[in-house]
Amino acid sequence: MAAPSLLRGGLRRLFAGLWGRGWASPPARALREGESGTGGTIEGKIIEDAAAPTPPNPSGQCPICRWNLKHKYDYVDVLLLSQFIRSDGGMLPRRTTGLCLEEHKKIAVCVQMAHRAGLLPNHRPRLPEGHTPKKPKLNRYLTRWSVRSAKPIWKRGPKWCKVPMPVGHPLLKDNVKYTHKFLNFNH
Amino acid sequence: MASYTKAAQQWATFARAWYLLDAKMQPPGKIAAATVIRLEGRHKPIYHALSDCGDHVVIINTRHIAFSGNKWEQKVYSSHTGYPGGFKQVTATQLHLKDPTAIVKLAVYRMLPKNLQRRTMMQRLHLFPEDVIPEDIEKNLLQEIPQPRAVPRRLDEYTPEEIAAFPRVWTPSFKIEEGH
Repeated sequence: MAAPSLLRGGLRRLFAGLWGRGWASPPARALREGESGTGGTIEGKIIEDAAAPTPPNPSGQCPICRWNLKHKYDYVDVLLLSQFIRSDGGMLPRRTTGLCLEEHKKIAVCVQMAHRAGLLPNHRPRLPEGHTPKKPKLNRYLTRWSVRSAKPIWKRGPKWCKVPMPVGHPLLKDNVKYTHKFLNFNH
Repeated sequence: MASYTKAAQQWATFARAWYLLDAKMQPPGKIAAATVIRLEGRHKPIYHALSDCGDHVVIINTRHIAFSGNKWEQKVYSSHTGYPGGFKQVTATQLHLKDPTAIVKLAVYRMLPKNLQRRTMMQRLHLFPEDVIPEDIEKNLLQEIPQPRAVPRRLDEYTPEEIAAFPRVWTPSFKIEEGH
């Protein structure tokens, strides 16, 4: 935990030109700016953060319960999902975000589906060389399995026992539905 | 109804209309369902199966359809040439790359009623892989069919104001530990 003197939730400290000796890599959430003022002086400013709005249900255990979002989010709600992912697209650990286990799994599943649907285009893993990643040629959504792992179903079977093609994820079966349509997880 | 002549009313009721449907980011099954209704003429109160009251449907951007689930990898289109050893199976990906209109065409063909009018109705279906349409078809278009699926917004399509207006659901709490 080599993150001394970095307080959040009220104070933020701007460092300029201090990297190199103290830390191996700068903390991801800190702001870095060039040297302000005259050349040669290093200035640190304390900036007051805007107070976070109070959640509607402050007695909840995880952020989802506190904001009453228990069964109300999907792979489409990128604004919510993007708060739980790193800049290269991976999930943040549960002990950092404070989610309970089932919500963490649901968010992980939604994030995977959002990545595969192309809804998070800027959260791609960093590639070391100048190797340009190839753009996916096919659009998809609600993909449960990874693209490389899915195999063709060569024989689907007769009408009364067809091999189903899974859609969505069963973890999200308790989501609030605003239509009376039956939520089908197998097409 | 208010002040149309009888002839104009008759023409408006029985004329064959041209509809446009944009298949971008839409599942081909739902596209086919909306198309088949128009091709049969079931959207008209004067519908009868024998009265050939179907309309034309132009589907654009068939190259950009979106399958739900892993159907691009799992769905298999099979056919047989009639000759021994002629059983061919292609995945949806391979078929789409070979012919970008084939998936929508097959979906509509298989959803139409299996009678002799199916072929006539397929002749009234016009598929285009991109949004480039010949001029004479473009002049005929009357109305656009609404898209069956609501396309979700990507993260970079949100304005910074909307992103800032969305509350932070959790805040990180760093603990300052002595001796580090």
